[in-house]
Amino acid sequence: MLENYFPVLLFILVGLAVGVLPMVMGWVLAPSRPDSEKLSPYECGFEAFEDARMKFDVRYYLVAILFILFDLEIAFLFPWAVVLEEIGTFGFVAMVLFLAILVVGFVYEWMKGALDWE
Amino acid sequence: MEFTSLVFYIFSAILLLASLRVITAKNPVHAALSLVLAFFTAGCLWMLLEAEFLAITLVLVYIGAVMVLFLFVVMMLDINIEEMRRGFWENLPLAALVAILMMVEMATVLGGSRFGLTPPAPKPADYSNTRELGLQLYTDYVYPFELAAVILLVAMVAAIALTLRRRPGRKWVDPAEQIKVKRNDRLRLVSMAPQKPAAPKAAEEEEA
Repeated sequence: MLENYFPVLLFILVGLAVGVLPMVMGWVLAPSRPDSEKLSPYECGFEAFEDARMKFDVRYYLVAILFILFDLEIAFLFPWAVVLEEIGTFGFVAMVLFLAILVVGFVYEWMKGALDWE
Repeated sequence: MEFTSLVFYIFSAILLLASLRVITAKNPVHAALSLVLAFFTAGCLWMLLEAEFLAITLVLVYIGAVMVLFLFVVMMLDINIEEMRRGFWENLPLAALVAILMMVEMATVLGGSRFGLTPPAPKPADYSNTRELGLQLYTDYVYPFELAAVILLVAMVAAIALTLRRRPGRKWVDPAEQIKVKRNDRLRLVSMAPQKPAAPKAAEEEEA
């Protein structure tokens, strides 16, 4: 089975080379005359105003977590779709039940307003 | 040495280095990025074990979703790194003891010789791991499969209950209302008698 994935391995190696080689060449070949002004961080020509880290709305986490949950739900659909003809009605009903349980959560979050962006 | 063994050792070395960076990096963003590399390499190792569906799911779900959330949190959180690293050396002996015990236990349990296992023969090229997984998961393991749905549901409800807050006095627009608006809701035509503008006498006098 692994022989199917040999092209993927080659692709990873070529991709790494394409990504890394220009950086190494730039690092080796380019003239480098750093000074403190060049190396200091700046934003649009100003001095940096503040630290990049700040507190932000917890709502972003909520969207990300809900995305992960439905992402997992989709992941369960793939093997099911591959073998649907062999597992027949039983497998179909099993997946319908699975989706129905998650639809309860979906309806809950919709009704609760978790999908609204105020 | 066989080619797959060589690939296995390369990936294992990358995985170990990445995991080491996760716990030693001072910058939490670097640690999270190392964790991405560790997950990806673990996915490659699973692929070497011929578990293709799990490997791809690891990349899709963990790197594509979970690590994005991690990075998101770590980049934005206001973390005092010095504060977190305090007590590292005091706790090191206990932590090391726990780690070593855990390692010994896992080696005892998971050593293949304990189960009389021999390495499985490589599968033919048309073997589909996803198909085998599907045949097992939706028939023999249908009960744990439904339990997984319930766990996801609980996670969903918990996430909403923990993070959803209504702020009073907020101002917002309803796009549906905006779309439904008609001209008559916004514009009022008033009919009134025409007005004759006053002649600009003052300007003419100034020019003259």
